[in-house]
Amino acid sequence: MPLDHRRLRGPEESQPPELWAAGTGGVPEKEEEEDAAPQDPCALRPLFARAGLLSQAEGSAYVELGGGTKVLCAAWGPREAAEPGAAAAVGGGRLLCEFYRAPFAGRGARRRPGSAAERDAEREAAAALREALEPAVRLARYPRARLAVSALLLQDGGSALAAAISAAALALADAGVEMYDLVVGCALCRSPGPAAAWMLQPGEPEERRAVARLTVALLPALNQVSAVLGGGQGSPPDDWAQALRLGLDGCHRLYPVLRQSLLRASRRRDAAAAAATTTTA
Amino acid sequence: MAPPARYCVPGERLCSTEEATAGSGTYTRHGFIFSSLAGCLEKRSEDSGLPVVSVVRDAESQLLPDVGAVVTCKVCSINSRFAKVHILYVGSTPLKSTFRGTIRREDIRATEKDKVEVYKSFRPGDIVLAKVISLGDAQSNYLLSTAENELGVVVARSEAGVQMVPISWCEMQCPRTHTKDFRKVARVQPQFLQT
Repeated sequence: MPLDHRRLRGPEESQPPELWAAGTGGVPEKEEEEDAAPQDPCALRPLFARAGLLSQAEGSAYVELGGGTKVLCAAWGPREAAEPGAAAAVGGGRLLCEFYRAPFAGRGARRRPGSAAERDAEREAAAALREALEPAVRLARYPRARLAVSALLLQDGGSALAAAISAAALALADAGVEMYDLVVGCALCRSPGPAAAWMLQPGEPEERRAVARLTVALLPALNQVSAVLGGGQGSPPDDWAQALRLGLDGCHRLYPVLRQSLLRASRRRDAAAAAATTTTA
Repeated sequence: MAPPARYCVPGERLCSTEEATAGSGTYTRHGFIFSSLAGCLEKRSEDSGLPVVSVVRDAESQLLPDVGAVVTCKVCSINSRFAKVHILYVGSTPLKSTFRGTIRREDIRATEKDKVEVYKSFRPGDIVLAKVISLGDAQSNYLLSTAENELGVVVARSEAGVQMVPISWCEMQCPRTHTKDFRKVARVQPQFLQT
């Protein structure tokens, strides 16, 4: 038979690729087997934080948790309040928060992007963000002004709201807004089962199956809790208290990383300003 | 070489109130001074009393017009009862976003307040020096006043489009057409005039 030079000739025999795949499953169907090897409930996922990366916003921050939660947050300093509403009567400024979830954020998204349920969830997350950030910002120093914070969730790998809270606090501090303290967020969840323990910073599969979820926001230097968000069913009160303590401990352990990123951003900004003045002078 | 600057984050405890007094960018709580900004720590020693500790950011600090501050604004519309302005500068620092202000008819002049006509004091497009008298309540904007000799119109253009020259405290003249227009003119201090 004449040879067909336009075709690539493969091998005569073929074998299934799973024989050669690595032993530890990266395959999604193996999630249920992770229960057999329980993760350390107090282990924190590695956190990467960087402040001062966007040029179009006055302050910005990017927070990434190991395992695939990525949040980008931008903050703008005091602008004139558009409609002076009830808050102006109180005499302080207003903090406006927005939370957006990118359409490509979820793997196997629970809600269709753009649907009303998605928008409701975004609005709820924005209200939660505002509740967590308001105690930390010195609104009395900005009468009749409005501060805007906008968080964008790029990839959801669990603990998204906690990462967004930390990123928003970093962005506000980077924008030069006067604050009492940074806000650190930490998420917990409890899987179904009679003797299940609380787990810090759950991943996406654990969060989906969880029976109770909690997000704690803490002001570390002043040791004040600014928000406790979430809920669930079926635990005695001491269980919730223990969960709260676990969450606060997690926040205290995350604080040094956020503080370092903010200091580095300040140094970078000053170095850039010094370089700009020396080149123009 | 300047000593390495010490950077701090909001919420960082700087020192106790017995060692220093709190300056800008800091707040005190429980007898300690905490930082309120993410910036550089600055310690200035005052001759009288304790050194002053403050945190500065090299970027332009975001100023808000405060009561009693002299601001530079631009008139955007006038009415028989008030003039609406955009506040551009607070003191000598420009604002990143403009704030709105109102100059009421009775705040334009200090004397003969009932005989004032807004049309003869300001026109849209004038640059005015004014003083903030109130932050305003829920419904209104910043309230400004020009009831002093040093406050009022500094730059105005005539109908011909040429910058007018002040003749007296209530008149300005166009150098090209020699027509006189009424304005409430500011008597700018000589050190601020550039000749």
